[in-house]
Amino acid sequence: MELDVNKLSADLGRLIGKEYVFVDKPTNLLYAKDVMPWDVEEQYMPYAVARPAGAGDVSAVLRYANEQSIPVHIHGAGTSLIGLARPKTRAIVLDMGRMTEITVYPERGYFETGAGAHIHLLRKELAKHGAMLPIFPGSEWIATIGGIVAVNTSAHAVDAALGKPGDYVLGLEAVLPTGEILDTGTESTRRPAGIEHTKLLVGSEGLLCVITKLRMRLVPLPYFENIVAYYDDVDDILDAVMAMYRQNVPPPMFFEFLDGRSAGIGFKAVGLADPGGPVGMMTLHCWSKAGCRDLADNFVAFLKSGRPREARVVDDKQEWEKIWGSRAEAGNYVYRLGSTFGSEVSPRIDKLKEAYHEAKAAILGLESYKDVMFHAFGHIGAPSIHAYAFVEEKDLPNDVKKAIMAEVRQKTEDINVKYGGCGGEWGVTGQRVPFLRKRYNGAYFNLLLQLKRTLDPKNILNRGNIEVAT
Amino acid sequence: MKTAEETRDMLLSELAKCRACRFCLDTCPTYQASAGLETLSSCGRLQTLRYLLMGMLRLDDSLAYILYSCLDCKRCEIMCKSKGQGLEITSLIQMGRALLSDRLLKGEEG
Repeated sequence: MELDVNKLSADLGRLIGKEYVFVDKPTNLLYAKDVMPWDVEEQYMPYAVARPAGAGDVSAVLRYANEQSIPVHIHGAGTSLIGLARPKTRAIVLDMGRMTEITVYPERGYFETGAGAHIHLLRKELAKHGAMLPIFPGSEWIATIGGIVAVNTSAHAVDAALGKPGDYVLGLEAVLPTGEILDTGTESTRRPAGIEHTKLLVGSEGLLCVITKLRMRLVPLPYFENIVAYYDDVDDILDAVMAMYRQNVPPPMFFEFLDGRSAGIGFKAVGLADPGGPVGMMTLHCWSKAGCRDLADNFVAFLKSGRPREARVVDDKQEWEKIWGSRAEAGNYVYRLGSTFGSEVSPRIDKLKEAYHEAKAAILGLESYKDVMFHAFGHIGAPSIHAYAFVEEKDLPNDVKKAIMAEVRQKTEDINVKYGGCGGEWGVTGQRVPFLRKRYNGAYFNLLLQLKRTLDPKNILNRGNIEVAT
Repeated sequence: MKTAEETRDMLLSELAKCRACRFCLDTCPTYQASAGLETLSSCGRLQTLRYLLMGMLRLDDSLAYILYSCLDCKRCEIMCKSKGQGLEITSLIQMGRALLSDRLLKGEEG
């Protein structure tokens, strides 16, 4: 039975204020559009966009939606690279964009923030208090803290150096699909031991609750040192990463790389000469200036024990900005000049080299589209292999794009399965459900479904992200 | 001078370059003034225009408001350029407005 949108609009308006409910088609369409390279499809057009002010509003909407069995899709910033942000069914889209209040409590050692606060604004606010936000997504300009914690994504950071965002979360305000408001965790800087709901809800990808507010530990702003290393062959960088873990060398907080092709494009874009091979770039952090330099010098010495053409600390701030910027420029290139289909392979560390070459072969051997180009760059020290299939054509039909994406996904996920990895950035639902089912056994997946059914008996939250493969 | 059809094709080709990354949102004064309503942002306008030209949307009051509320400040273009895309967002919006006005004057549907 078709839903009466006028009634829905009036009902939601009564709950959260009519000026915060939108049923016009342009707004519905925009909130259904994410960065996935295909267009919004009519059958998934939202019924309405609701913009709650806080947990009370979210509770009212979810209680109503649950009673009426209307799906609700949560919208942070729409930047998920795995399609989490794209509604998979007609739904009310819950835009978290009004929940942006940030309060820093230095005397308590934490800050509280609305789920919709943008990362770059949060970082700016914390810097005023000499604190660092230990979260570094590429989509920093728009990504929301709620979205980051809901996926528990490491983004650029090397987990072994900085941990996950969830490691800094002291507590949450969250709303269950049935409308109950939960307050979890602690107001102490000492996180609870034992079973505790914060740990259950962090990384739950909008399947179990809507996170409305977060309490996170203040992290003192450290000193940083930056390193660049030039190589002749990508295998030399892969060897360096494996040796770093094997030799128990303290890992840097960022350990990025560009393959030769990407490095040429990125360096040219920032006005540097083509390095003529792959490039590694690292940032180390420490709370003492001398200690930071010491760490950096030791890391350069470690790198030199491998096969770099050159490895050095970069003291010139402008030079570093260019080198670091080259990575973003390589990314801009593949997204600007064609259609790009990415993947995230995070293998067991001793299998990094095999995984990389298998990912490359999988991309170059795609059956759904011939003559794709292979690009690889990203957080290799994490380790994350972002193997990209790049097609120099922007206007591919939706079905072709979907076919390429599906094949890239399946083939690269098989490498994750083979080498015992999972990924650390993109979450595991959305397009990754087939991987999730393959990687873990039936009992694992069934437990997840039972958890979902227990907390969300009518399956209203982010419906389609766990059931289907698209 | 370009025909309406040529303008439409050129617009669609340019608009396809916006991947809805939304990095420009915070720079947009109307996005800020609307407490973060994405439809009233630079990105929102480009996507709206694109879907309008593709035939998924029709010109109505809400859509006209979205397109005509751009203040032409070009702050979004600075962000777009810094992210490597370099779309001339406000020019595209203005071309879209002109194209649609022309069609409306001729009594055609949006």
